[in-house]
Amino acid sequence: MGKSEYRDMWVYLEVNGGKLHPVSLELCCEARRLCDESGERLIGVAAGAVPESELAQVKECGVDGLLLVSGSGYERYSTEAYTRLFTELCRKYRPSAVFVGATANGRDFAPRFAARLETGCTSDATELIYNPESRDIEFVEPAAGGKIMAVITIPELRPQVGTIRPGTFKHAPTGRREVVEVINETLPCPAEEIRTRLLDYKADERDAELDISDSETIVCVGNGVKDESLPKYRELAALLGGKLACTRPVADRELLSNKLQVGQSGVMIKPKLYLGFGVSGAVNHVTGIDAGTFIAVNTDPDAPIFNYCDYGIVADMDAVCDELIALLKRGA
Amino acid sequence: MLRILVCVKQVPDVDQLRMDPETGNLIREGVPAILNPLDANALSAALSVKEEYGGEVTLITMGPPAAESALRECLAAGADRAVLVTDRAFGNADTLATSYSIAMAAQLDGEYDLIFCGKESLDGATGQMGAQLAERFGAAQVTGTLKIEQVDEAARVIRAQREVDGGVETLEAELPCLLTIEKKNYPARIPNLKGKLRAKKAEIKTVSSADIPGLDLGRIGDPGSPTKVPRMFPPELPERGEIIDEGSIEASVAKLYSLIKGE
Repeated sequence: MGKSEYRDMWVYLEVNGGKLHPVSLELCCEARRLCDESGERLIGVAAGAVPESELAQVKECGVDGLLLVSGSGYERYSTEAYTRLFTELCRKYRPSAVFVGATANGRDFAPRFAARLETGCTSDATELIYNPESRDIEFVEPAAGGKIMAVITIPELRPQVGTIRPGTFKHAPTGRREVVEVINETLPCPAEEIRTRLLDYKADERDAELDISDSETIVCVGNGVKDESLPKYRELAALLGGKLACTRPVADRELLSNKLQVGQSGVMIKPKLYLGFGVSGAVNHVTGIDAGTFIAVNTDPDAPIFNYCDYGIVADMDAVCDELIALLKRGA
Repeated sequence: MLRILVCVKQVPDVDQLRMDPETGNLIREGVPAILNPLDANALSAALSVKEEYGGEVTLITMGPPAAESALRECLAAGADRAVLVTDRAFGNADTLATSYSIAMAAQLDGEYDLIFCGKESLDGATGQMGAQLAERFGAAQVTGTLKIEQVDEAARVIRAQREVDGGVETLEAELPCLLTIEKKNYPARIPNLKGKLRAKKAEIKTVSSADIPGLDLGRIGDPGSPTKVPRMFPPELPERGEIIDEGSIEASVAKLYSLIKGE
């Protein structure tokens, strides 16, 4: 079947405990833009019970339709039920694209249903471009550790499946469409197909230090940091009323938790103030930062980080940190 | 006896990759190939299961002949045997084609009870292989496994903790089951001398496309890969920011401090 037989872009609406995951709304807004360019319809797809108040938020993002699936098997997430669901729905409705938030569960089922459909799946694009000539979506993302940008397409097959990190796109609703078609489907997943059983769930003890996505000030250490210097950056973050974060190599060194890793395969941040110490400026790190004021400290004057900063200092990171701490303590 | 498969990959050490400023191409020469770091954690988890419940740990990788060194590294750390899937026909594969190729090659040696993968690779970093391999093996899957609590071979189930957004699930999954491993509880094993010597002498089984009966050549390598990379380009560098240089660190930091306070 040719790809022109496939129409409409879908966004999976992830609902946990009656609440929509913010990434679903971000993806609706971004896919709205793509649909306006391609002339396709935007459809939100959800399974199980979704409160009306949550659907109202989705409608504000400009969806043309909602595909709401009921049936047994969606009371809680399972790989099998969601893989089966999207496989069946895609076979029946033939969307051109399916966007899934790169949450733990989104990343769990999206590649699997793409494999079952024998189609392509991309992950962690930081930019989406609709190419009107090929009618393909260009998934743009940093590659090879952020040294280069790669354009990834799925030129022959449909649907084009993509998982996208929360925080990559903005939730900027463009308003409700005049008509929002609602399609109700019943598609139960037979219990015997589900091969995992949830025995227990424990919510993380909220460790505020590990939640950097909404912090107004971020002190970020890069691979230039010495193990023994870490406490001073922690102190600096505390004095600034902010939080400590890091780049991938630092998390790889197990110096800090990977929950503090900023960037493409970590957390997207939008602080008012970002201070990067010993950060080289790999693209997969800087794409994760949307800062009001961006400050960089590095001994290498040619480090790419200086191309992203508002202000930079070429100097030893520890010396600058010490001096800043001293100034803050003096309250000058 | 538990049959355990660990899927590993040799990757370029991306931190050492540089871009040619003239051509915009990546300079790959001289960049060492290493065992994908998170695969060492997957191996460590597999070895923990073997130590507690018994079993045999088989490694599998797909790549050029040189990927053998990644397998020997894992053999030295304690794996029992290794399979290298290598053939030009497998080249340029995306995750879909790779998952098909590896599953087809692995099944030459029968079925596995447990399949372990690292969470993602250092170079591709899609994190998709685990789920796609599980689909190929027709296995249950636990992605983001923090800890394996129990394996009950007789009842054909595994109990494991899975990290999800904001919490930890405890799941019971049927065997066969594929697990992708978080590194937290399974630090990489350091090979001892005996392991290194054994690994040096170990025989590695090589599998080419011709060795796999029924292999669909349209589903491997470039032809079997629905995702394509039509172009790469150097990241666009914005204009350099303002470099503060007031002659001394003290003076420069003082200037920076006043700028921060002023914002």
